[in-house]
Amino acid sequence: MAPFGRRNVLLALLAAAIVLPAFANVYHLFIANLILVYVLLAIGLNILVGYAGQLAFANAAMFGIGAYATGLLQVRLGWSFWLAFPSGALLATAVGLAISLPALRLSGLYLALSTLAFAQATQWVFLHWESVTFGAGGFKTPPLSFAPLPIDKPLGLYYLSLVLMLALFLFAQNLVASRVGRAFVAVRDGEVAAQSLGVDLLRYKALAFGISGFYAGTAGGLYSAMLNFVAPEGFDLFQMVLQKAMIVVGGLGSITGSVLGAGLIILLLEALRAFKGLQEIVFGALLVGFVLFMRGGLSSVLKRHVRGWEEPLRLPQPSAPMPAPRPIEAPAVRGEQ
Amino acid sequence: MSAAVLNVIDLEMAFGGLKVLDGINLEVKAGEIRGLIGPNGAGKTTLLNIICGIHRPQKGDVRLNGASIVGRKPSSIARLGLGRTFQTSQLFQGMTVLENMMAGLHRRSRTGLFAAGFDRPRRRSEEKEMEAAAMSALAFVGMADLAERPATALSFGQQRVVEIARTLISEPALVLLDEPAVGLSANRLAELDTLLRKIRDQKGVTLILIEHVIHLVMGVCDQVTVLSSGRTIADGPPAAVRNDRAVIEAYLGKELSARYQAS
Amino acid sequence: MLFSYLLMSGVTTGALYGLVALGFVVVNKATGVINFAQGEFFMFTGFIAWTLHVQLGINYLATFAFALAFGFALGCLTDRIAFRPIAKSDVVSLVLATVGIAFVLKGLARTIWGGKADYLAFPPITSPDPIMVGNIMVIPQQLAVLAGTAVILLLFVAFFRFTRAGKMMQATADNARAARLVGIRTDRIYTLAFGIGAAIAAAAAVLTAPLTLLYPDIGFAFFLKGFAAAVLGGLSSLPGAVLGGMIVGIAESMAGGYIHSSVMELSPFIVIMAVLVLRPSGLLGPAKTRRV
Repeated sequence: MAPFGRRNVLLALLAAAIVLPAFANVYHLFIANLILVYVLLAIGLNILVGYAGQLAFANAAMFGIGAYATGLLQVRLGWSFWLAFPSGALLATAVGLAISLPALRLSGLYLALSTLAFAQATQWVFLHWESVTFGAGGFKTPPLSFAPLPIDKPLGLYYLSLVLMLALFLFAQNLVASRVGRAFVAVRDGEVAAQSLGVDLLRYKALAFGISGFYAGTAGGLYSAMLNFVAPEGFDLFQMVLQKAMIVVGGLGSITGSVLGAGLIILLLEALRAFKGLQEIVFGALLVGFVLFMRGGLSSVLKRHVRGWEEPLRLPQPSAPMPAPRPIEAPAVRGEQ
Repeated sequence: MSAAVLNVIDLEMAFGGLKVLDGINLEVKAGEIRGLIGPNGAGKTTLLNIICGIHRPQKGDVRLNGASIVGRKPSSIARLGLGRTFQTSQLFQGMTVLENMMAGLHRRSRTGLFAAGFDRPRRRSEEKEMEAAAMSALAFVGMADLAERPATALSFGQQRVVEIARTLISEPALVLLDEPAVGLSANRLAELDTLLRKIRDQKGVTLILIEHVIHLVMGVCDQVTVLSSGRTIADGPPAAVRNDRAVIEAYLGKELSARYQAS
Repeated sequence: MLFSYLLMSGVTTGALYGLVALGFVVVNKATGVINFAQGEFFMFTGFIAWTLHVQLGINYLATFAFALAFGFALGCLTDRIAFRPIAKSDVVSLVLATVGIAFVLKGLARTIWGGKADYLAFPPITSPDPIMVGNIMVIPQQLAVLAGTAVILLLFVAFFRFTRAGKMMQATADNARAARLVGIRTDRIYTLAFGIGAAIAAAAAVLTAPLTLLYPDIGFAFFLKGFAAAVLGGLSSLPGAVLGGMIVGIAESMAGGYIHSSVMELSPFIVIMAVLVLRPSGLLGPAKTRRV
């Protein structure tokens, strides 16, 4: 196995992640934890956008739903975190599944815009349904304890995030290298042909949306625990663009790429923390730059130049020149008589 | 007397006010290669689309191995054993040739969400099986050495062949081929002819072939159905159909066909 | 009285949404793409106009003209950077490219003109005192907006009906391949479409500026509403865009006045979902085509 092969690099990162708390201060630990949270978001989004080809902009909203649900179940109903957290993730999953139903009839740009509008509506709910969500000011969540284990919260949460990230990373890796992963790519690259091979479109679109909802919801629950606080700002359009940037930079259709993309972008974000305007410029430019010059993201570069970086790269390929978008596509088979 | 794989009964289809199919009846027996020809606008592709579930007819029934499939989703009809190729290449561009073939086995494989994610041994073993089946299917059509190439790297002719292989790999009962000869050179045409015969002889799959390349149809098909303006105007062995007056008229028009027959 | 006030306010904002929507439709008809930076074009040219008029003291009409030119240039630049190089790419890339541009513009505006909480106030161009037109109370700037919108629409119609470029654009929109075959330089048409779309957004911004405060995040709000209006009117219909804008503006104003002001932000979502569920081709779009 080549020294810089993908597996070795990942193992090295994992080892570094495990021992990190011994060397890091509170701030570094926080950033590392944030990276883990965003890796989850990026992987889930990549499965939906990169593999299944569903151009949806609802990930940040599901992130928020996970965070809000986890927080509110604790604050309003007195649940323990350990019950609220999975419930929040499941709620976000349910929302993802619900979105997949209209997604069956909408394609491309229309899907993008309706999910964008959905995300905005979710923001609106977070902001205005004050009786439930505490409105614009947000709310604090109860402190998290890992009793009876003798770990303090930041450390415990970090390892919890690490374990979850590892499990969900492996799950995603396995999934995309299986029949299910191929079904996703089939849906992306040729819906009609996919159906002719027996791939049920509704089932697989719902699956993709549900999975991304689960990952986003899990990330949301962890995030709420990290901050001990939930407010609308964390889940807005900028968030969404950030996540898109992560998967583009990492490489659409590459799970490992999502890990790299998330890590890099979070670090960049922190470096630019003082200047929000600059953040926007940099991320916008990153998006444009990668879309134009490095469509395959970092993974494709690594694949080409680093020996041993083997990984099935499943880029969406350029299609025929865009026709005027139709909101509802009757299945199109050219040359019908 | 072999059983009928496909029965089309009194099928009628209209789009808006335009009647495209007007009372089509068809019976295709197991192991047959059936040709479906007719001038443009006759309704051939519409018929295919109805059979595979893309459109729903106003009247009539379609039965696959006796079971009615009208109104079902295309993917569930496919799972009952119907395969189809399209006029334009529908290979999945983001996959290699081998992966495309494995995608063709979708309906025959069982690994679902949780098995795929968690059950590594089971997933691995099924992947191995599928890979082996895919390689042997590629070998059958003579494309085994292209297995690891991305689908985008194949020439048009090669893509067509792989697509046919992909349709066959799950051993469907019936395969619909929509103009497989489109854009093929003479060499490739001969290869296609050979391939179709090989499929019929060795795989026992029933084929319905829409084509405009008449000599291919006449050479390879056991029986030929001719559609014109939404109706069946002839149905029989190739030799009979070729000389049928109604067929000639449909293709050449009344005047020309009178001249043709006089000569 | 409340009703007529709401109506007037709704018609005015509706005209603005209509202009933004028009920008969408022009680009979409010609290129098939939705320009996710359309809202930021609106915002950015508004800021430029502020600098010219408020900081540099240039008069309103000259500012208007300059803003139009600037907007046009911005649109052309966007076409060159974010569309032309990837015109044949998949949907994901095309969308993300204009999204990236949108954020660059927003970040630039924030960096150049101040932070998130900073709002720029444009001084009123006309007298801020309301006048009575019949029974309706009207602010003169609102009339200016309506007049400006009407003029722009007329110019538009004239452009498509009487100029060669306009006809070439229609041809390209109808069938790009055929247009190329008859010698139309479609890539230039695309650039023109982007430029025009941005110029319209600029016009809308300069018309709006005296009525509202400018801030960097205003772009997204107008983007969503403009898009909702365009979808409502039928994405391929120019008059539909204006009609859609009017409907969204009036409905929003009424809802805001009679129900609660916060409802106004929800309007794009409701409109988009309603249209896509009930009548996807929009009010004036082509009737659902049958696949034959």
